[in-house]
Formats: sequence, structure tokens, C-alpha cells
Amino acid sequence: MTCDEARKNLPLFLYGELSFDEEELVEAHVDECAECRRALEREKAMFAALDAVEMVPGPEALAESRAELRRRLALAKAPLNASNLAAAGLWDKIREGFTIHFHFAPGIAQVAGAAVMLVLGFLTARVAPNSMLNWRSSGMIAPETSRVRYVEPVSPGRVEIVLDETRQRVLSGSVDDEAIQRLLLTAAKDPSDAGLRVESVDLLKGNSQSAEIRKALVYALQHDPNAGVRLKALDGLKQFADDPDTRQALTQVLLRDNNPGVRTQVIDLLVQRHTDAMVGVLQELLEKEDNGYIRMRCQKALQEMNASSEMY
Amino acid sequence: MDEPELIRAAQQGDQRAFEQLVRLYDQSVLRLATNLLRSPEDANDVYQEAFLRVYKNLHTFRFDCSFHTWLYRIVSNLCLDALRKRKVRREESSVVETNEGVLDRMDTVEEPRADSDPARCLESKRVRQKIQEVLGGLTPRERAVFEMRHYQGMRLRTIGELMGTSEEAAKNCLFRATQKMRAALGDFV
Repeated sequence: MTCDEARKNLPLFLYGELSFDEEELVEAHVDECAECRRALEREKAMFAALDAVEMVPGPEALAESRAELRRRLALAKAPLNASNLAAAGLWDKIREGFTIHFHFAPGIAQVAGAAVMLVLGFLTARVAPNSMLNWRSSGMIAPETSRVRYVEPVSPGRVEIVLDETRQRVLSGSVDDEAIQRLLLTAAKDPSDAGLRVESVDLLKGNSQSAEIRKALVYALQHDPNAGVRLKALDGLKQFADDPDTRQALTQVLLRDNNPGVRTQVIDLLVQRHTDAMVGVLQELLEKEDNGYIRMRCQKALQEMNASSEMY
Repeated sequence: MDEPELIRAAQQGDQRAFEQLVRLYDQSVLRLATNLLRSPEDANDVYQEAFLRVYKNLHTFRFDCSFHTWLYRIVSNLCLDALRKRKVRREESSVVETNEGVLDRMDTVEEPRADSDPARCLESKRVRQKIQEVLGGLTPRERAVFEMRHYQGMRLRTIGELMGTSEEAAKNCLFRATQKMRAALGDFV
């Protein structure tokens, strides 16, 4: 083996990816050649330097990813349960152009009062050209919109283009229907459209007896960046102001929300019931609150509870 | 439950089994994506998309290959897509301007502690920067193969299988990556 050959093989030698015979040849050469022994040492130093830049995500990052996945799985599985399409795939059926029908007894639909129509956008199949631009999946309805995700030359003069496509489909049903509710829950979290979230939360709040919907309302109240959505969510939670979990969420909103309109409504709700825990919260709020109405409500509630306006 | 039992249970809709399956692999998936993409946000995107795809397609898994291979095939394809897109958008810097000053998003990722000696610390920082530069200059395939071999310790045969290519092609990719690394780091190590 020559020096050139040996040096070319050093990384693979260190990775243990040479055949038995090749490894023997490198070892024999390095044993006899001082230059290549030094080259091997430099290679080892480079490997050590590479080891030092390894990025290890912290436990918080992993925990956040797991929590997000849990939320997304809950949303992903929702339509499966609701429409009895089971594991084999609402997703696939949607992608193949399968039409979903919801059947409701007319009476139930009337009692429900409101019918909602949801227009859903979703990704559909990928397409690629053959001799001309043909859909890869036969029988597909042409998409209404598409976006080029990336292009990749496959051979001289030919290219593969990957498109994201969006089609629209209309589903209608009662707001009391579980499948519709799940879609509304998804829409209520759509980060790209505050208007859609407001509408969805508004429709959901009438069903806040459901623990899942209440949880979604609490989430929207605590996390939605749009005050209009938060106010709608708050509306749906008013009747649960005595429920300990809801009350705790309201307390956090009172102390953290940057919108005085939201805080005003929350304080009106919270001060209806005087609890020992409220004293500390109201005192803390007074320390930083600059809205006159909220301060007045705070002070009045503290007086009624025979508590001081200052924190100790 | 062992892994095949977990997979079968998850295929039948057992949510807890699916979660356990995720937990068997998700740490290394996040680590691979973080190292490869050098962006915690992009790594999380790959993590989410990979496990959602697994969830949606688990019923098609027929034990023709190991679950590890199947999962990592999804992950490596997603990472390659992300790297290609990034190449089109041009390489993103991990450094962003915020109201509180300049912030390196990679600071949220744990790195082994450098030496406490300031001179060595500086030198080690320069080497790290150089390595980042070289990693950024590798093609998506070279980067993926290098990452999987060097940091994940996968065999080239497995890497070839994951990337839909031969062991030989994976070996060539790794060879080119280490050659580029050696050429760039010549003066540093």
C-alpha cells in the first residue's frame, strides 16, 4: 500500500468501515511509515474536534417536542374516532378524493340550531411529470392551488418537481356533532388565521360542558395572541368561574394578560366569590395594575374581605 | 412488551403503545435532526412530522425491515428535504437579532464544556466555527451520511439502506465529507 492510498483510507479506518484485508494493509503501512503515523494522529485529533461540536438537545427541548407531539396526535386522531374511518385512514381517503358524509337525524339538527360549514385546506398528493405534466395518482381532481416545494434535476434535461397542493372540501353538520366539534377544535388553534379562531371559539363556547372543549377554551384564553379570541373563550368559561381549575387559569390571566378588556372581564368574574386565595392575587395585581377600573374593583374586593391593599 | 408487540398494539390503535414506541426512539431522532439541521426549531419540525407520518402510516408497516430502519428512513428524508430547502433559501444563520440583543439559537442546545483556559477556549471556539462552516458547505447527502456515521454511530450499510442507496455510495459520500473536513481544518488540528 502506498502512502497516498493509506492516507485516503485513514477516516474509514478510524470508522471501522474498511474490510478486514484493507484494514490489515493500512495497519501494516502505518506501522512502518512515520509520516502516515503522524497523519493518523492528526486524523484522530480531527475526530476529537468533531466530537466536541456535537449538539445534544437538552431535556427541556425533548419535553417540549413530546408535549407538542401529544397535542398534534390528539388532533390527528380526532377525525379518525369521530367518523369511524378507523386506522386505515381518513387521511389516505381524503388524499384520494374520498368524500365524507355526516348523517344527522333532522330533529337533532334542528335542536342544535346552528349548522356550520367548514372549508378545510389540506395537503394532497405529490405529482411529477412523465412525458407531460400528469397526475401521478389517477382519478385525482385537479387541485385549486399548488406551490412548488422544491425542484430536483433527475437526469440531463429532466427535472422532478414536488408540489404542495391544496384543495377545498365542504363539510356540514350540527355544532353538537363530535366530528364537527373536533374540526372546530383544530380550527380554534390555527395560528395563521385569527378570524377563523374567533369564529371557531365562538361556536365551541356553547358546548363548554364538554371537558375537552373547556380545556380548549382555557388554552385559548391563556395562549391565544388575539384578544378577540381570548374574550370569546372567556365568554364560554364564565359559567365555570367556580370550578377550581378554571379559576386558577382565570387568576393567571388576570395577572398576565396585557389586554385591559380581558383583565376587566376576568376581575368581574373572580371577585364575585371571595376566597382566601384571592387576597394574595389581588394584592399582587394592585402592585402592577395601572387600569383605574381594575384597581377600583381590586380595592373594593379587598375591603369586603377585610384585607389590606398592600403585600407583606 | 417488546418492540414487535408494541408495534402490533399501536397498529391496533393502542395509544399508550404508540407513545412507548415513540419514547424508544425520539431522543435519538431529535438528536440526529438537531445535529444535522443545527437549528432547534427545524429539528422540532422534523421530529413532529416524522412521528406524525409514523402514526398515519403505521398500519402499512409489515415488518419487512426493522422499525428502526423504517423510522430513520422517514427522518433522513425529512432532514434531506429541510437541507435542500434551506439550500434554496440560502443557509440560515443560527444567530438572530432580538429586542434583548444578539442571540444564538444554538445556545439552547447543550454542548460539551470547553476548556476553562481562555486561550484554549478561544482556539476551541475557532475550531468549532470552522467545523460549522465546513458542515454548512457539505451537500445535503454528504452531511446526512457524515452525521449518521460520525455522531449516530450507524454503519455505512445501514445508512445506505436508509437513504435508498448502496453501502458503496454511502462510503463515497462519507469519504468526500471527511476529505472536505480535513482540507478545511488542516491548519487547526
